[in-house]
Amino acid sequence: MLGCYDFCGHYDWTFQWIEKNAGKVALHEYWEQSISNDSQAHAAALIVKGGVSGMADYWGHTLSEEAPGGGFSARIDGDRFLVEMTDCPSRGFLLRNKIEFSGDYCDHCIGWIGPLMRRAGFSIHHAHNHQGQCYWEFRPAADGNRSDLEEWKATLEKAWAERGNKIDIFSGVSAVSQKESKK
Amino acid sequence: MKHLPYQDSKPQGAADFYFAINATFRFMVQRFGHDGFVRWLREMGRDYFATVNRQWRDGGLPAVAAYWREFFDAEPGADVDVHEEPALVTIRVHRCPAIAHLRGAGRTVAKEFCEHCYFLNQSRAEESLLSMTVEGGNGACVHRYAPRGVLVQGAGKIREVV
Repeated sequence: MLGCYDFCGHYDWTFQWIEKNAGKVALHEYWEQSISNDSQAHAAALIVKGGVSGMADYWGHTLSEEAPGGGFSARIDGDRFLVEMTDCPSRGFLLRNKIEFSGDYCDHCIGWIGPLMRRAGFSIHHAHNHQGQCYWEFRPAADGNRSDLEEWKATLEKAWAERGNKIDIFSGVSAVSQKESKK
Repeated sequence: MKHLPYQDSKPQGAADFYFAINATFRFMVQRFGHDGFVRWLREMGRDYFATVNRQWRDGGLPAVAAYWREFFDAEPGADVDVHEEPALVTIRVHRCPAIAHLRGAGRTVAKEFCEHCYFLNQSRAEESLLSMTVEGGNGACVHRYAPRGVLVQGAGKIREVV
């Protein structure tokens, strides 16, 4: 049986299997069709209907299940929803167990969250450092930057860069293929 | 958790991951066909589970029994007995944790769900010089492990999920 205890391990193994057998586009289709539309239908139901309140409901439940020991903050800030992962339970599982089957495990998050947020009318501002840390700002698609949040994100990116982490950034985009990387 | 290949910081997994496992079965069948679904499971059984396969090959049936006890302890909602005899390990799944969680959440369970246990675990058994069978399904089933060549999977013994 495939279990949920080591889910992140066989999930990562499956990413490389799909990419090896059908290419990167098929992997992106897997994240959108299978994970975003099918597996995470409960997240879509909450977020498309409830906006940032739905995000609080979804991430409140899922992060407390996946990371009961903490390692994250998630909150509504006006018309936006902010998440900061300091110890991602999913990427952390792979790092602690030295698992590295696929090329870039962290991409799976934007792979399923991106299409969902597009449907819900939110834009995504996200970066991750491949070490279990990332930030997410979900804002109404028509809204612009907010200086305090730009400062928050820049501070995190600077700290990761000083540690020599490879950083992937998604600014106002919702497709995994639209990332920019910097070291 | 010394018999599981990977260790998490919490004692049990997050049950909502069964949603993704179920959805992945549907995707694999639709995208790669039933043969591709089987190939994915068999290759995963051989490669992803290589560490456990070595434990089973070296430790024999006692290692198989120890693994499945720890495995189901880490799956939320499982009701399973593992019975060990000198030449046979029998795993009685009274309540499959995945199917119970999916049904509890109102999800449509992939009809191939129970096949995955057979194709994945048969591959692992082969790598470990063992044989295995699955009987039942649809929320409750029996798995058996014995030395290679002893057990043969009978046709029609695995139930589709309805």
